This record gives sequence, structure tokens and C-alpha cells, in this order.
Amino acid sequence: MKKLNLSLKNPIVSYIGFGGLLMLVPALILAGVLRNSTLTLVASVIFYSIAALGLNVLLGWSGLVSLGTAGFMGLAAYISAYLTHDLKLPFELALVAAVIIPTLIGILVGFISLRIEGLYLAIATLAVSEILRKTFEVFDFFTGGYSGKPISFPTILGFITQTPANRTLFPILMYTILVIFLVAVMILIHNLMKGQFGRALNAMRGSEAAAQAMGINLLKYRLMAFGLATALASLSGVLYVHFIKYTHPGSWTLALSLNLVAAIIIGGARNIYGTILGVFVVFAMPDLILKQIPYFGTIPNFAFIVNGILIIIVIMYYPYGLIQITKDFKKIWLKLKERFS
Amino acid sequence: MAIFMQLLLRSLETGSVYALAALGIIIIYRTSNITHFAQGAMGMFNTFAVTFFFLYGRMPLWLAILMGVATAFLMGVLVDLVIIRRAKRIAPISKQIITLGLIMVVLGLASTVFGVDPLPLPKLIQGGEFDVLGATISYNAVFNIVFGLALMSLFFYILQRTKWGLAVRTTASNELTARLMGVPTKTVTMVAWALAGVLGVLAGVMIAPATKVDLNVLDAVQINALIACVLGGFQSFYGPVIGAYIIAIAKNMIVFYGQPLGLDVWGEQLVLLSILIFIIFRPNGIIGKKIVKKV
Repeated sequence: MKKLNLSLKNPIVSYIGFGGLLMLVPALILAGVLRNSTLTLVASVIFYSIAALGLNVLLGWSGLVSLGTAGFMGLAAYISAYLTHDLKLPFELALVAAVIIPTLIGILVGFISLRIEGLYLAIATLAVSEILRKTFEVFDFFTGGYSGKPISFPTILGFITQTPANRTLFPILMYTILVIFLVAVMILIHNLMKGQFGRALNAMRGSEAAAQAMGINLLKYRLMAFGLATALASLSGVLYVHFIKYTHPGSWTLALSLNLVAAIIIGGARNIYGTILGVFVVFAMPDLILKQIPYFGTIPNFAFIVNGILIIIVIMYYPYGLIQITKDFKKIWLKLKERFS
Repeated sequence: MAIFMQLLLRSLETGSVYALAALGIIIIYRTSNITHFAQGAMGMFNTFAVTFFFLYGRMPLWLAILMGVATAFLMGVLVDLVIIRRAKRIAPISKQIITLGLIMVVLGLASTVFGVDPLPLPKLIQGGEFDVLGATISYNAVFNIVFGLALMSLFFYILQRTKWGLAVRTTASNELTARLMGVPTKTVTMVAWALAGVLGVLAGVMIAPATKVDLNVLDAVQINALIACVLGGFQSFYGPVIGAYIIAIAKNMIVFYGQPLGLDVWGEQLVLLSILIFIIFRPNGIIGKKIVKKV
């Protein structure tokens, strides 16, 4: 029997450990060290990370650019909101339905990817996303139109609901669910990408013709990649709407899709921690860190401008992603060690 | 017939705006190999500048627009000098992300410098309208259509007939070879960025009177311009322009003539869907050439 490897070198153990680390945030909030708003901010990093990890399968491992993520996230969010809020269906059922329906559309888009590629594919997926967004605007009995759709926290497992008694604890419960999903997705992506699926995608990225010659079925793996990316985008959308409790068409624009692409490139393509780091830089750094800097933080939009400049600098000096910085640190560390030993 | 003419003229006006924006995107794509996602944001910034020169600088509108063109030109040159020129060796996908960083910087700067309140910008030619085949059209709309077409004709004339155009075309076809042949590719790229900035502010000034100048004034234009580039094909300069007019005309026609069928609110979705189906059958757009891939 293989011995269980429980050191942090084992990626799966490290992912679970990372989940535990994320659970420190609510603990610190309850202890009064962090502000309440931090929970929402870290939660947003978590659900955007789930979408970004899915997009990374396309952008990183398959080398296909998709700008449709926001549309699929939005579609899943609206379906889930409609099913739980208007039809009063259980949250778990709505989650499954809201993941399956966009995924089917995503697989259809996968068929398009066999015909067109590169920039054309990126903008074709953008068109899909725009079609969905316009539909959110006009299909108002389903989506609430321009004014958006407010919902309440879901009932979990059919009996846990928000009551005045657990007002402060319920968001933390939702947050825990987000963390569990994130860790599960990290393990899933790790295993899939280390396995046959990931190797097939790597081969296809290198050369489609060579991959085909090795007996890789392009159609099958393209559709699987699109299916996985869309399913994770949908999951992210569902978690978004049930944590934020509100959705409107303005949330699901090109800007969101572009930010997710940026997060992956900045953090590091084909790297799970890199993706999460990138999402943190793009979505949370302005509020969480830059605005806390004394004096400068009070200048309006200072954080936003600095974040933009940082993104440009990272792309120019760390073209393989910010996660490469850890290697630089290691080098410096080894040098220091040598000098003092 | 009168209604058809009215629709056609209005489509030509919005088509000109999309075409100018698309031309800005394509010239950057061809010379720097970057999809210019920040075209709309930079245009928005300079449109705000025009509005500020007009409202608070108390300049006549034409002078304000000229000043806006100048700031757009400078901004384009600056972006090229500071960023793009140093980012030559970066992988193409990462290069696009630079423009995302630019969007953040420009949006942040715009709301810091100009505030977040929407401002009004009047039409360049106030009042006055006349009839064409039963359709009424304002002088300003005529000016927009004619100006857009004239500017594009001038652009294509320079591109095809002058030494400068030749330099741009050689850079677009192969940057390295062009440099070896003595084409000043650095200057070409710089002028391309400046030109894209100018095209952006002109699109902004044309579309702004219909709405208000705010941070999202060019968002829809940006998306339509990108889709026009795909429809027309990224391989040529005039494909996107044709694509832009087709999108504008198709959208207005479907929205109007689809009304009895209840299709008016679905007009844009239908146009996008038909474009998607079209590029599945013609993956390189209307004019695009097929790129032969070698194994």
C-alpha cells in the first residue's frame, strides 16, 4: 500500500491547507482584527478564482482565448437566482441546473473553436457573451431587466436558513461553502491537468497536427476544455449571486471577461496558485492594500491607477506571470544562505 | 422608401463612428500585433478633454475638438514611447493585457481629472435639417457621414499611394523584414498609436451628442468595432470598415422591420448571431485571406 504523503510538498495537502488559511479570514473578523467588508472582498477573490481556474484550462493549457466568461457567469447567476427565488426550488438543484445549461452552450461554442482560432475566436466568444448580456437586459420577467434582481441567501440542505439569530454567522457559512468549492476545484484542476486530459491539451497547444498524429482526438478534448471552463464559470456565477445576493446586467460585461484574462496572465498561466494570485491582484488589491496606504490612499482613484500601472509593469518584467517572483525570492534566499554559511 | 432612407442615413452615421474606431483598432493590430482593447477608453478620455476645453476653457467647439485631437495624438505617442516600444519581445497574448492595464489607468485618470458626472457635448453644427428622398437629416449627421468617409478615403489614399503608406504596409506585413529594409518601423508604430488615438477621439465626439460624455461613452462602440474587425477580417485595412457599416445598417434595419414580429428588442442579438454563423463559414472574415499554417 502506498503511504499517504501528508507533507506540504503534496499539492493536494497544500490546497487543503490553503483552504484552512482562507478560513482564518472570518476568524480574524470575529476577533475584530479585520473589517467586515474584508469578508466580501476575499469571497469575491474566491468566486472569481473559480472562474479564472476554468478559464485557465482554455487560455493556459489549451492556448485558446475566450472572452465569453462573463456571459456564462451571468447566465448561471440568473438561472440560479430565478430557480431559487422565483420558483422556490432547493439551492442544490438550482446549482446543478445553473451549471448544466450554460455548459451545454459552452460546448456548442467549442464546436466553433474547431473552425476559427486566435483573435477571431476571442471576439466570437465576446459576441456570444454580448448576446447573453443583451438578453439579460430585455428578458425582464426572468432577469429583472436593467434594475437587476435582488435575492436572499439560499436555504442550504433544505433546513439551514438565515434567521435574525444567525445574522452575522450566515455570511460566514456561505463563505465556508465558497472555500470548500474552491479547494475542490483546485484539486480537480490539478488532477485533470496532471493526467491524460492535461497532457492532451499540452500536446494540442504545441502543435495540433502533431497531437492528431499521436492519436489525440481534437474535437473531444476541445469540447471537454470548453465544457470544463464553462462549467466552472457557471459555478462561479452561482456562488456570486448567492453570496452577493444581487445581479444586474452591468456586472456581466466585457470588462469582467478581460479582467479574468488579465488575472491569469498576470498570475501565471498553467499555474493554480498563480491564477489565484492574479485574481487577487486584479480584483482585491486596490481595496485591500492600495487604499490602506496612508496619504496616497485618500487620493480618489489612486488605487485604480496604480493597479493599472502595476499590471503593465508585471507584464513587461514578468511575462510568465507574477508567480515567477517566488523563484527570484528563492534565488536571493539561496545567495544569502551561501554568503552567511 | 422615406423610412428606409431615414434608416439608411442613420445607419451610415453610426457606421462612420464604428468604422473610425475599427480603423484605430486595426492599425494597431497590424503594426504592433496588439488587440487594442483600450481604444474606447482612450477615446473616452480625450472626448472628456474636448468637453472640458469647450465647457470650462470657453473655447469654440471646433477649437476644443482640435485641442482634443492634439491630446489624443500626444497620448498615443506617449503610450508607444513609454510602454509599447519596450514590450516588443513579449508573447502576443500577454501583450493584449497591457491594453487592459491601460484601460485601468485611463479610467482612473479620467475620473480623477474630469470627475464622474456625465457632461453634455453639443453637436458641431447646430440646428438645420433638410430632406433627402423624403427622409429628414440634420446637417450635423451629413457632416458626420461625409467627414467619416472623407477621412477614411484620405487614410486609404495615404496607405496605398504614398511612401508613408508603403512604410505602414511593409511594417504590417513583416516588421522584422521591414526594419532590415530600412523602414523606420519605430516611427511607424508611434504614428499608428497617435493615429488610433485621434480616430478614437473623433468617434467619441461624433457619438457624444447622442448621449452624454461619461466613463462608458464609447463602450458599445468599442465592442461593435471589435466585432466589425472580425466580420471584415483582421488581414486587411478596409475589411473592418466595411464590416462596421454592415453592422450598423443590419442592426437598424432588423430593429425597425422586425418590430411587427416582436424582434425589435432582439435586433442586436440577431445581428451578432448571424455574424457568428457567418464567421463559422468564413473564418477569416469578408476580406480575410486564409493563413496557411505550416507543421
